Amino acid sequence: MSAPTVEKGIRFIKEQIDAPVASFFSACVHCGLCADACQFYQETKDPRYIPINKLEPMRRLWEQEYTLLGMIKSLVGLSKPVTEQDFKDWETLVYDGCSLCGRCSLVCPVGNDISDMIRKIREGFAAAGYAPEELVGASTRAVQIGSPMGVRLPALQAQIRHLKTNTGLDVSLDQQGAEYMVLLSSMEIMNFPEYLEAIACIMKQAGKSWTISSTAFEATNSGVQIGVSDIARELVLRVVNAAEELQVKTVISPECGHAFTAIRWDGPNLIGRAYKFRVQHILEVLDELRTQGLLKTKGVEKARLTFHDPCQLVRKGGVVEPPRNLLRMVADNFVEMQDHGAMNWCCSGGGGVSANERAEPLKFTAFKRKKRQLEELDVDMLVTACANCRITIEEGLEENDMELPVVGLTEMLAEHLDLDESSGEAGS
Amino acid sequence: MSRFSDDTAFRQALDELDIVQQRDVGALMIEGLLSLTGDGRVSRALGVARDPNAGDDARLAALKSVKAAALDSHARCGADSDWAQQADYFVARAAVACLSDQVLSHGKGPAWQTAVSCRMAKACVAAEEDADQNGAEIERQYKILTDYLNIR
Repeated sequence: MSAPTVEKGIRFIKEQIDAPVASFFSACVHCGLCADACQFYQETKDPRYIPINKLEPMRRLWEQEYTLLGMIKSLVGLSKPVTEQDFKDWETLVYDGCSLCGRCSLVCPVGNDISDMIRKIREGFAAAGYAPEELVGASTRAVQIGSPMGVRLPALQAQIRHLKTNTGLDVSLDQQGAEYMVLLSSMEIMNFPEYLEAIACIMKQAGKSWTISSTAFEATNSGVQIGVSDIARELVLRVVNAAEELQVKTVISPECGHAFTAIRWDGPNLIGRAYKFRVQHILEVLDELRTQGLLKTKGVEKARLTFHDPCQLVRKGGVVEPPRNLLRMVADNFVEMQDHGAMNWCCSGGGGVSANERAEPLKFTAFKRKKRQLEELDVDMLVTACANCRITIEEGLEENDMELPVVGLTEMLAEHLDLDESSGEAGS
Repeated sequence: MSRFSDDTAFRQALDELDIVQQRDVGALMIEGLLSLTGDGRVSRALGVARDPNAGDDARLAALKSVKAAALDSHARCGADSDWAQQADYFVARAAVACLSDQVLSHGKGPAWQTAVSCRMAKACVAAEEDADQNGAEIERQYKILTDYLNIR
């Protein structure tokens, strides 16, 4: 990749202005609904964080290049060119002040996908060298090592040994023809090893064959977060190649929101073809096992608990009912937040925000929305299905001196498995 | 010599202990790994875990401090992995498990959860190598419980 420059950044933004983007700018009626939907604006009341404003450099380029009025204005010197100062001024708006949660896109009355446009404008900022250093580092490691956090195969193998010692269950790497190929996020490998244990126990009970690819176990796609399609494509291709080589039927995206968006929705467009396998989020798989009678649980959580919907899963992925179906199996005091499902508020750490240390004060400000949601409910436990949401919420709770255990749904289900009710012997 | 040869018996013996004893044994397991953490909150919390006269307020304050220690030491999304530092995180998590109420441990006893996090802490040390340190840690835990039960 050539060195980043402002000229390159401008060129990359222009390249992102396709027909949908042009029509979105033409269609914007300046109603302000996207402002109402954005927690970064709502919690700061700083107009710079109004979603459509985060796209202003792109809007100016669109106007100057693709509208008659804009061309005339440029000719007579009345338009404002995009400069390096604009990249400096907008970098924190497009990376720190947006978690790509997609709430603005959902409420836009003319259907503008503002969130996707912010992802697209990031292409230009990354090309101009105006992207958070943590995301640059993560993307570099993802390409060079295969994991944004630099997790290598021996680390995964150490976890597998740990799992075998604790449960007696083994995990086969690179098992040809397995039904499922499980992806993991580095966050799960490093912070939440109980996720892998939960998968092993559930698959054992369900009698399903599954494997992990030794060359493509990482689900996280930093290319999508930073906004570099070339990297995003390369990372998707690694998974696709491994899955097709192993001839698995289904690839399971883990409890990581944007990983699901990357592999399930962006992936086929990035590589320019359909997959030869299915992609499901782990909660979709678990719900399918439930409907097939292969997920047997016993006992219920007595604690009053609620579910935090990860944005990428519920708003962009449409996975609304599976977590609720699963929770009803193991919780008898499950309550919903006022805005839940497709309209849930973000944890405030998605889209690379939590990786970006500079953004931390803003992230905690935006978290106040989630804090109020939780205070209204007065719950004893919060369940979610994204390692990043989990850590972000734990940090937010700590910052606000709130005591509330946060657990992963897959892990909670595994705790309730009725081990006397195994459906088969396959395991891994 | 250890009276345990596998985790089934070990876990059952841990679960049969009352909550105060579980904290006591858990703290003993963590004490042997304090060299893996530089966080003073963990060692201070172990003092509370081992004190049979410590009240709920003291325990909850210690629990809060080790939860903060665990959060401070977790690997940030996208950060370059440092497994030595990650051992720090799992030692703090072991302390959280050790001081937690049974009801919040999702059906697993605090001592067993402590044992698992201690094993992860040791696994972190060997994470970048193709080496297995689990065996030595497990033997160490078996011996701690054996000695504890012998003098009880």
